[in-house]
Amino acid sequence: MPDLAIETHGLTKRFRSQVAVDGLDLAVPEGSVFGFLGPNGSGKTTTIRMLLGLVAATAGDARVLGADMPHHVDSVLPRVGALVEGPAFSPYLSGEANLRRFDAADRHAPRGTRSDRVALALERVGLSHAAKKKVGAYSLGMKQRLGLANALLMRRELLVLDEPTNGLDPQGTREVRSLIRSLADGGTTVFVSSHLLAEVEQVCTHAAVMSVGRLVAQGTLDELRGSGSRVLVRTPDPGRARAVLAELGLPIGETAAGGIRSVMDASGDELVTARLGGSADAAPEAIVAALVNAGVRVRGFEIERASLEQRFVDLTGEGFDVVA
Amino acid sequence: MRARDTGASHRLTRWIPAIVAPIAIGVGVVLVPLQANAAVDLPDLTPAELLEFAASSDVESLSGTIEQRSELGLPDLSGLTGAMGGGGGSGGGTGGGTEDFGDGDGDSGSGSDGDAAASATDLDDLISLATGTHTAKVYLDGSNARLQVLDRLAERNVYLSDEGAWIYDSAEKAATHLTVDQAALDALEAEAQAHHDEARERLEAELGAPLPTPEQLLDEALAKLDQTTDVSVGTDGRVAGREVYELVLEPRDADTLVGEITVAIDGDTGVALAASVTARGADEPAFSVAFTDVSFEAPDAAVFAFTPPEGTEVTEHAVPIPTVEELEQWKAQAEAESQAEAAPGDEAARPVVHGEGWSAVVELPAAGVGGAGFDGEAAAMLGALTERVDGGRILSTSLVTVLITDDGRVFAGAVTADRLLDAAATGR
Amino acid sequence: MSSREANDGPVGVDARVGRSGGAGGGTLSLLGSELLTLFRRRRTWALLGALALIPILIALAVRLSGGPPTGRGPAFLDQITNNGFFVGVTAILVAIPLFLPLTIGVVAGDAIAGEASHGTLRYLLIAPAGRIRLLLVKYAAAAVFCVAATLTVVVVGTLIGWALFPIGPVTLLSGATVGVGDALLRFLAIAAYVTVSLLGLSAIGLFLSTLTTVPVGAMAATAILAVVSQIVGALPQLEWLHPWLFTHYWLGFGDLMRDPIVWDTFGDNALLQAGYLVVFGALAVGRFLTKDVLS
Ligand SMILES: Nc1ncnc2c1ncn2[C@@H]1O[C@H](COP(=O)(O)OP(=O)(O)OP(=O)(O)O)[C@@H](O)[C@H]1O
Ligand SMILES: [Mg+2]
Repeated sequence: MPDLAIETHGLTKRFRSQVAVDGLDLAVPEGSVFGFLGPNGSGKTTTIRMLLGLVAATAGDARVLGADMPHHVDSVLPRVGALVEGPAFSPYLSGEANLRRFDAADRHAPRGTRSDRVALALERVGLSHAAKKKVGAYSLGMKQRLGLANALLMRRELLVLDEPTNGLDPQGTREVRSLIRSLADGGTTVFVSSHLLAEVEQVCTHAAVMSVGRLVAQGTLDELRGSGSRVLVRTPDPGRARAVLAELGLPIGETAAGGIRSVMDASGDELVTARLGGSADAAPEAIVAALVNAGVRVRGFEIERASLEQRFVDLTGEGFDVVA
Repeated sequence: MRARDTGASHRLTRWIPAIVAPIAIGVGVVLVPLQANAAVDLPDLTPAELLEFAASSDVESLSGTIEQRSELGLPDLSGLTGAMGGGGGSGGGTGGGTEDFGDGDGDSGSGSDGDAAASATDLDDLISLATGTHTAKVYLDGSNARLQVLDRLAERNVYLSDEGAWIYDSAEKAATHLTVDQAALDALEAEAQAHHDEARERLEAELGAPLPTPEQLLDEALAKLDQTTDVSVGTDGRVAGREVYELVLEPRDADTLVGEITVAIDGDTGVALAASVTARGADEPAFSVAFTDVSFEAPDAAVFAFTPPEGTEVTEHAVPIPTVEELEQWKAQAEAESQAEAAPGDEAARPVVHGEGWSAVVELPAAGVGGAGFDGEAAAMLGALTERVDGGRILSTSLVTVLITDDGRVFAGAVTADRLLDAAATGR
Repeated sequence: MSSREANDGPVGVDARVGRSGGAGGGTLSLLGSELLTLFRRRRTWALLGALALIPILIALAVRLSGGPPTGRGPAFLDQITNNGFFVGVTAILVAIPLFLPLTIGVVAGDAIAGEASHGTLRYLLIAPAGRIRLLLVKYAAAAVFCVAATLTVVVVGTLIGWALFPIGPVTLLSGATVGVGDALLRFLAIAAYVTVSLLGLSAIGLFLSTLTTVPVGAMAATAILAVVSQIVGALPQLEWLHPWLFTHYWLGFGDLMRDPIVWDTFGDNALLQAGYLVVFGALAVGRFLTKDVLS
């Protein structure tokens, strides 16, 4: 198992009566691109604040780049670039002046290369032409880009990005994606919190899912998705089909949404679905053979790899209302 | 793995500086003066020895800061004095005052002008002397002296030298120059010395023995003082960072308001560095004056130089120097008058003393100070200061009581109101 | 976007070299950036401009009205027509009770709360600026503003007095007269005295600023405290408290206009302000180190 860039044990944050983060055990491997998912108000930003030493944990502990936080903020944070809950700048200063200011705040950032590094960071996020403009006059996406530039001022071992593509145009989103990929190729661990599952699916190697302050799933993207694949059988003999699938050891009735169920088709055929995985590691062709041998008239057969979105909704519930 | 509660305990430790700093300062504020007062032990002296030591002091040069405080227990006058014109400066260095707020608008608040304002300001000055704190600098060298009263954003100065004296008031922008005829003064001094020597020789011849030495005189004076006052040497202390003896005078007379008078005498040079008067039964002195720092090195000569600045109103005053004959003539005249004291026609002009010692009462006859002498504002202030009693108005402070009878006589003394009323009624 | 460049290029190498660099220079560099930020703000210049208006208005008013009757108005006002140098001192006297504390309140009260309200506080802290280091730099910047504020009043006052009135040797409170050079030095000393007087208030403002994310609240509270302290200082019933008020020596700069100069008040004032600085500095540190940055 590789070293962990971020590791927490029982990390908890309580705001008065409300528990925003509840006993979080996070493990982010070094070199991974880690998607941190969860509905609004599930505690992602609060977790990130604790990881960066902005907020003191009520209980539990966190290690970032191998050192305890928040006791080692001074030695850890220079190696971490971050975007926390959107960008924030002094509106009366230009984009460039803002970056210089944050860079001056880092005592490890060499003064001599400041101008070069600021110019380079602005170029990387495509803001070179707006460098001298006051941030007060920036658009939402421009500010977001400037926030990313701030995270990239120095060579970082870890990037913590809280919703990095918020407000970006499609080109910007694509650029961020390729940026993350290239940074990861260079060995930087990237910890991205996001709601945009498609985006996470495209760039992340690992992910974790938060729900109401608790961690509900964590692992490689394949691990997360794999447990969510389904078998779809279209047949006029649903009863027999169900029996065969159950015989094969595919999970029966484990949840209302995940167990075997049938849906009436327009043609009169029924759609029988079952979740793949569990103890029976049946190959698709073996399932079809078993069905046919049992005399089930198979009119359609499909293995549906569950999308991350489906998995996300499965884990965090269908409800639209924010749980707070 | 770390203990679960590290967060909370860590938070507590981070408050430590915030808790320690005020405590350290508080302890410092309490301990430093304690330290300064600790362990002063000068060689023991009797009161007589102490007085002699003080009298033999030969300090000629000195510079220092004097602080004078009065806590006479006057009624609260803040409302009244606040309404006064902004002229009279109150305590030196005392915090931001309301007057300056008002002045910020270029409007001096009180609308009164001319004489009324002037007399009110004078009264204000008087009251400011009797209440609050004043700081002054003193400079002495062999032949010059300077008193510099530090008012807030103003200053009063008295310069004394062989050529005369300058009094300068920055608030009034007025200077008074007092001159004496130096030749006449020298002549007077020489003549007086001659007279003195002559008298001494005559006396010694008459007595057939030398006159008593100063020590003998002092002993005699102390013995006389002892009849009315308990004189003792108190515990050694520290004034202006110097070790001092404390001479304590306690009136034996039960009628007086004066509880004790203390004088701090520098253990090294014999210079009096502090004095205070405490009312009977009070813990804190009603009046005190003390050096807060002092140095016995000769101040820079420039300190004594004064030339009235441009735009100053200068009043010249030549002080007439009498000859010895004139002096003797005056003395004879005064004696003759005191013989004739009983004559009722003359009485009106002269203060009368009732009783003696600590509980003596001074009576000023009706013409002296009358209620009629005050205009409206000053009268209002007098009304606020005094309190109505049967037969007049009483101004009482912790040390001094003043009675203004309805017929205009004024009685004053370091005594209770009853004693004054008694004196007014019986004339004794 | 060319990310490879950043990871392996010369910048990355320099960054690693820079890590061994001295911390002291880093703090100075942060202070420099903080001052740049402060003095790049239009608001800072508006505050200084308002302060500069005080001597200008005083000089114009005296010039146009031909001078006030002597003995009225603040001390020194009646001297202006004779000597323009007194414009600066009069302006300081007028500015001390309210205008200076107000501007200091704005700058000191904004120090942390302003960053919090912009959200820049979190980015400064994860830079990482270091919480204590950030407080120190913020306080130093407020102190520099105090210098700028008092110098503005004194210098603008002296210049406008120079322009509108005759100037010449200055008569001190003691009655002595000193030459122009000596007088200018004394005005600088007065500026220093007033600056020192404001340091305690700056520390209070900084502490209040760590309590809130609403800068206006901290600013108003700081200015109100200055006024309250002066009112308490004028109440004889609370005389025991007076020597402990941070405003106690605010008008004591007159001691620099004496001959010889009385430095006692300067020392006492500096000691008192240092006490306030230590107490409120420690409170600010305690508060800021334990503060959850949620803005
Ligand atoms: N300052 C605060 N005081 C009280 N509760 C807070 C505070 N900040 C956050 N919370 C609560 O903590 C919970 C988690 O909030 P957090 O900002 O971490 O959510 P999030 O996962 O980042 O949400 P989003 O996706 O909307 O950014 C929420 O219920 C929120 O109400
Ligand atoms: Mg969030």
